Amino acid sequence: MEPEKTRKRRVLDFIRTWFNAHDIFGILSEDRYKSLKLRIILLDAVLSMIPLLIVVTISYFWFLQILKDDFRNQMKWEIENSKQSIEFFVDQKLSGLRFLTSAYSYEQLSDQETLAGIFSKFKQECGGLVDLGIITQDGIQRSYVGPYNLKGKDYTNQDWFHEVIVRSVYVSDVFMGYRKLPHFAIAVKKENPGKGTSWILRATIDMETLKKYPYSMNLRENDDAFIITYDGTLQTPSRSHGNVLEKYNLPFSLHAQATTIQDIINPDGSHAIFGYSFIDDSPWILVTIIKSNPYLKIPKIFKNELFIITVLSIIFSIAVTFVLAQTVVNRIKKADREREEAMANCEHASKMSTIGRLAAGVAHEINNPLAIINEKAGLMKDILETSGDLQKNRDKFISQINGIFDSVNRCRTITHRLLGFSRRMDISHDAFDLNDAVKEVLGFIEKEVLYRNITLNLNLADNIPKIESDKGQLQQVILNIINNAIDAVEEGGLIEVSSASKDINSVRVLIKDNGSGIPKEKLKHIFEPFYTTKEKGKGTGLGLSISYGIMQKLGGSIQVESDAGKGTAFTLEIPIKLVEV
Amino acid sequence: MTDNFEQELRFLQMRFIGKILAGFTHESKNYLAIIKESAGLIEDMIKLGKSGEAASSQYLEITHSIEEQIEKSAGLFKYLNRFSHRMDTKLSGFNCNEALEELIALVNRFANQKRIELAKDFQQDLPQIYGNPSMIQFLIFSFLEENIITLDQNSRIIIKTETANGSIMIGIIPEGNLIEVEREKVEFPYETYDIVLKQLGGALTRLKGALKFTFPLKVSDI
Amino acid sequence: MSQTKILLVDDEVEFASALAERLQMRDYDVKTAANGLEAMALFHNSPPDVVILDLRIPGMDGLEILKNIKIFDPTIEVLILTGHGDVESVAEGMKSGAFEYIMKPIDIAELTSKIDMAMKKRIGSRD
Repeated sequence: MEPEKTRKRRVLDFIRTWFNAHDIFGILSEDRYKSLKLRIILLDAVLSMIPLLIVVTISYFWFLQILKDDFRNQMKWEIENSKQSIEFFVDQKLSGLRFLTSAYSYEQLSDQETLAGIFSKFKQECGGLVDLGIITQDGIQRSYVGPYNLKGKDYTNQDWFHEVIVRSVYVSDVFMGYRKLPHFAIAVKKENPGKGTSWILRATIDMETLKKYPYSMNLRENDDAFIITYDGTLQTPSRSHGNVLEKYNLPFSLHAQATTIQDIINPDGSHAIFGYSFIDDSPWILVTIIKSNPYLKIPKIFKNELFIITVLSIIFSIAVTFVLAQTVVNRIKKADREREEAMANCEHASKMSTIGRLAAGVAHEINNPLAIINEKAGLMKDILETSGDLQKNRDKFISQINGIFDSVNRCRTITHRLLGFSRRMDISHDAFDLNDAVKEVLGFIEKEVLYRNITLNLNLADNIPKIESDKGQLQQVILNIINNAIDAVEEGGLIEVSSASKDINSVRVLIKDNGSGIPKEKLKHIFEPFYTTKEKGKGTGLGLSISYGIMQKLGGSIQVESDAGKGTAFTLEIPIKLVEV
Repeated sequence: MTDNFEQELRFLQMRFIGKILAGFTHESKNYLAIIKESAGLIEDMIKLGKSGEAASSQYLEITHSIEEQIEKSAGLFKYLNRFSHRMDTKLSGFNCNEALEELIALVNRFANQKRIELAKDFQQDLPQIYGNPSMIQFLIFSFLEENIITLDQNSRIIIKTETANGSIMIGIIPEGNLIEVEREKVEFPYETYDIVLKQLGGALTRLKGALKFTFPLKVSDI
Repeated sequence: MSQTKILLVDDEVEFASALAERLQMRDYDVKTAANGLEAMALFHNSPPDVVILDLRIPGMDGLEILKNIKIFDPTIEVLILTGHGDVESVAEGMKSGAFEYIMKPIDIAELTSKIDMAMKKRIGSRD
């Protein structure tokens, strides 16, 4: 469980850094803008490319399928066509025979000479006719015209004879005939009307005419079409599947349905499309095998176009994304700069305000010691004017003079604070003593604290190293917090200020008061700009948010602990070494 | 561009305040020094056993001098107080004469070092204007400072105020010879001041070294 | 004319004692108090004619003291001491019944003339 959780957390953290919304006080350096831009472009490009690619791929395969289906339909149609032609061809031959049996009587056709005459005439019309003959209902060849000597042959034991007697029509499969050429035979039975007898007219046709039908189909290289019998014997020569009367291995068993197209895998592993159709009233099946995939030629062109369009789209979308990302990031940059500017302006105004108040405070404070000097000098003057001699009241005078010295020193201390402050008007990063800085700030609020009877406890550690930071800004923060503490405790409260080393890298200043405290619901808002708990007109609400910003900039932090009625404690953490943020 | 200008302005403003406060502190230190010395002198006189008419009258002189220094100090701090309060709020209605008075009082030390007299020629009933007094003080100070640096010793600068056509005119009129000054001493960001002036809605015209600032009665915010 | 009784309330002891002495030399009867409590105590013991009051003293708001005095005896006049630029407190003080105000550091001649005027008013209002 544990490793999984950390892994999950790591992943989340990684994602978070990748898509991080930056802290309101974070200052983005140029690098972050570049990486932000990159992230936007990548994300956007990927997101826009995925649907594009999906659509393109789906379209492509869909198109491919359509072409395939189309081709198959075409193939089916051609097979149908051929099948029908073959059927017609057979039918035609059968019709011819039937006509002969109607037009001529048994006696006429039995006559050899008549038969010969009919045969030659019939042969002219019917190309491929090899022989013609009458067979009695007993199965004996009665008359015959042709290359063989079949007169008187007995067919009673032959299947075809039985079949023609039963069905009245017969079409044979191909056999090796005259001159070792493939032939097939057709026969019709003629009933003698009213007599109950019948006779058979039989003809042999050479296969050449049959051959042309599969050949007429639109075949390309690697394609093949041929006729087979139900057991797979080839009836016409095939291009690559065997010769006439050879056995063709059917890839699967064929059913006597309508024309069927099916995908097969050849013995050598290649794919082919297998189409077949049973030829009615014949023992034949027309078979077509397509290996060539001609329909793929079109997709190739299509593929190229598609590819170009896709690539152009991608380029276009990336270009657009790039421009958009640029615009967006520039806007963000601008907004960030403006925000920084506004913050800087706020800080500046706050600084001015602070200095103004400190300077005004100095001006106020100095009135008393000046007044003292004035009175003492005046008193000495009065005494001299009344009593007349320098030495008469010498002790008194000396004590007044000492009083003047004390006041002069006091004035000096007060104005010296101002000098210290004015020297730091420009930013500096010199190392300084934290406790001195704290004491300087306390110097400014001494009078106020005294005036309000507030007890100030100092607990400044001795062993704090000098820190590299912006003294003026840090003092501004401390002053802000202490002023808030003074306001919180009002009369007679307690404020504790302590300093200590936190670790080898940072020091800590703690400012605690026992004032009214901040309720928990308000606590999370106090660092927000313009949030103030003071009444309207007093306080801008800017102090703490600026203090927060300053601490962030100095590489430190400011934290607060408080609750209603329980006082407030602010902790400042300051790095010892200067931090570039 | 704007970024730099704002940053520079803030820096210059801070420097201005720093200079004012530093100058003021030094001046008040001077007063305090005199007071201390005077008191010390009296102490010495007493300890040395001096007495009699001469001693007494000298003594009176010294105490009188102390009171004088106190009065001057008090005046100075009064100006400091006013000046500091202007830094607290950005926009307010104020009297230009008063604002310039503070400025002059606090800048006197710089002028005195070269014995340059800062003479006031204020129109008495100058109307109040509404604007950013601290920024205007900063602007006038910057040009005043330039004049003080480039004028010869024993010269004079007249600071004049008057009202005309619904606006206030502040004039800085140097009287005296100009001296050669090393370039580094006078790096004067004219562009920044121009922008500030423009943003305040004011205008500046120069005539033979004299500067004339015009501000409308309602100065815009910066 | 009997001496004008003055109560000087200021937390700056050095200042108060020197000023008190100077005023004594000018024939005023001056007592000093460093805070509100002392002031009120002296008040009840021997009420003064004129109070010179520094508004910014710790312990009790100067303004409150002023108001208490006025409640105690509205004919007692109060002069408020103030530093330069302390305009708001002066305005408040005057509103709460102070007679006049003086800025520190003090011009002794100005102070004495204002004390006399206050005294005159007090005498006038008592009769």
